[in-house]
Amino acid sequence: MKRVMWLALAVLCGCGRPQQAGKQERQVVIGVSLLNMANEFIVTLQAAMQERADELGVRLIVNDAQRSPERQVQQVETLIAQRVQAIVLNPCEVEASSPAVLKARAAAIPLVNVNSETAAQPAAFVGSRDEESAELAMDYIAQRLGGVGGVLMMEGYMGQAAQLKRSAGAQAVLARHPGLKLLASQSAEWDRAKAVTLMENWLQAYGPSIRAVFAQNDEMAMGALLAVERAGRKREIVIVGVDAIRDALQAVKEGRLDATVFQDGRAQGRGAIDAALRLSRGETVDPEAWIPFRLVTRDTVETL
Amino acid sequence: MRYRFDRQSLTRGLTVWGPRLGLVAALLTTCGVLALLRPHFLSLANLTNVVRQVSINGLLAVGVTWVLLTGGVDLSLGSVVALSGVVAAHLAHPGMYPLWVPITAGIAAGTACGGINGLFVARGGVPPFIATLGMMTAARGLALVLSGGRPVSNMSPTLTRLAGDWLHVPVPALILGGVALAAGWTLRNTRPGRYLFAVGGNEQAARAAGIPVRGIKGLAYTVCGALAGLAGVVLAARITTGQPNAGAGYELDAIAAVVIGGTSLSGGVGSVGGTLLGVLLMGVIGNGLDLLNVSSYYQQIVKGAIIVGAVWFDRRQRGARVK
Repeated sequence: MKRVMWLALAVLCGCGRPQQAGKQERQVVIGVSLLNMANEFIVTLQAAMQERADELGVRLIVNDAQRSPERQVQQVETLIAQRVQAIVLNPCEVEASSPAVLKARAAAIPLVNVNSETAAQPAAFVGSRDEESAELAMDYIAQRLGGVGGVLMMEGYMGQAAQLKRSAGAQAVLARHPGLKLLASQSAEWDRAKAVTLMENWLQAYGPSIRAVFAQNDEMAMGALLAVERAGRKREIVIVGVDAIRDALQAVKEGRLDATVFQDGRAQGRGAIDAALRLSRGETVDPEAWIPFRLVTRDTVETL
Repeated sequence: MRYRFDRQSLTRGLTVWGPRLGLVAALLTTCGVLALLRPHFLSLANLTNVVRQVSINGLLAVGVTWVLLTGGVDLSLGSVVALSGVVAAHLAHPGMYPLWVPITAGIAAGTACGGINGLFVARGGVPPFIATLGMMTAARGLALVLSGGRPVSNMSPTLTRLAGDWLHVPVPALILGGVALAAGWTLRNTRPGRYLFAVGGNEQAARAAGIPVRGIKGLAYTVCGALAGLAGVVLAARITTGQPNAGAGYELDAIAAVVIGGTSLSGGVGSVGGTLLGVLLMGVIGNGLDLLNVSSYYQQIVKGAIIVGAVWFDRRQRGARVK
């Protein structure tokens, strides 16, 4: 047992050394805590951050909170203890991740929220207004249907910020178009397999009155698309997703998926690192940098 | 046994089927209520959907029945589904390999995971909860590594056909049917099958009786892993991609279906037939809630209540015979 402890100690010391060497060269270290690296969008975000950090000669310490706000707060505590010069937080949750923001503030380490918000005010925010994505998607559906027809909405994980905001954005557009009837709105928990099942059931329940499906992310849009195609009804039903993941873009190119909405994860990731670096040098930055969404259809997919 | 309908076999028939009558009644009642509320519930297209939708949970549930019979548990099912789906999808790009390669590789990945679970539980003496919890995390991690965190797409149509129809019957349901028959038959009529019940009923007595307890446990986890691998391949075919984050929570749905089907969580009692009934009940309820457009918030409450209610009702009917 004693030997194991010595070994562990030696390993820990070994790990600590390069960091000290880094400090001597005054290399800036930025700590990052991400929502969930099993998510394709977050992977894009992380890749963009790493790319920008490499360009600027900044070292990143990247943690994956695996959707747990509690783990995220612990990770930020550890980053504070390591005395990183700035923190980039990709919050798991509006309220539950807020302690992370407050702790960084108390330790006088600048913290930048990227992609989604917390109740507590960070030093800076870089992201997109999530309602806008749903508004773009639903506006496109309204235009395609000429403002008349039955619409289904597939929601994300209930209670998450993205689900709440995308629902709010979609509802705002529906309120402007009295001819659009929301037949049903259910959660498929961002999941492609669940979306296939839900869409199969909806095709049975609502039959010919379905004219369009708005899925709050592309995973679910792809699931809905599979079910509609298998039922041989794609020609009558417009399907729109959000996120512009690779599969969805491919499906838009092939003319299978009608549209998706591009959230510029690359610009968000790069912007967050820029803001964090400037804050660490004591410079001021825009407290809220909004990166706009873009509607992607077959006509515009090549311009992406 | 000379006479087919002697008293002994009649009693035995009732003890085997009797306990399930409550479950069959629950299933028929649910179907009846749904048919009254939504007449198209009974349409052929909808019933086909239901059997298609339950197939994946069904494969997992049949496998985990074996593990629960030994008194163990397998929490790694959902992650193994993701891993084998990713493995299969990687080998299933158009024109890459013949169909059997991705299917075999996916099942092999699941079998390997199950085998490792079995090794740690049976040989290493690690509690099943912990051994399979470790596999749950590790297999998910491996799925993420292999896929780079992104869905593996561009799947050949030959593999996606695995989720299609054959003579108007969903292929996944045919697979489940075949697997369930084989698994059920093995449990009842072969020596390892019988040993499984003995190990779960009283491990020490089984050991004293000369039953190879370790081997039987290892077998149960391996079979369970293999079926999770098969379920992963079928799921990948259904959603035409290998998803590293697929299958989250599937193990709990499978275990719930098995327990609803009358298998004891402490081992030694249960059957594949009961498991299938449990799987069907859960599938019909899920389908019905969607047809009735019950809000997503309430769906979770209803599902939770039904899982506990079904098991409570079933145990009360059967009295103290089951631990």
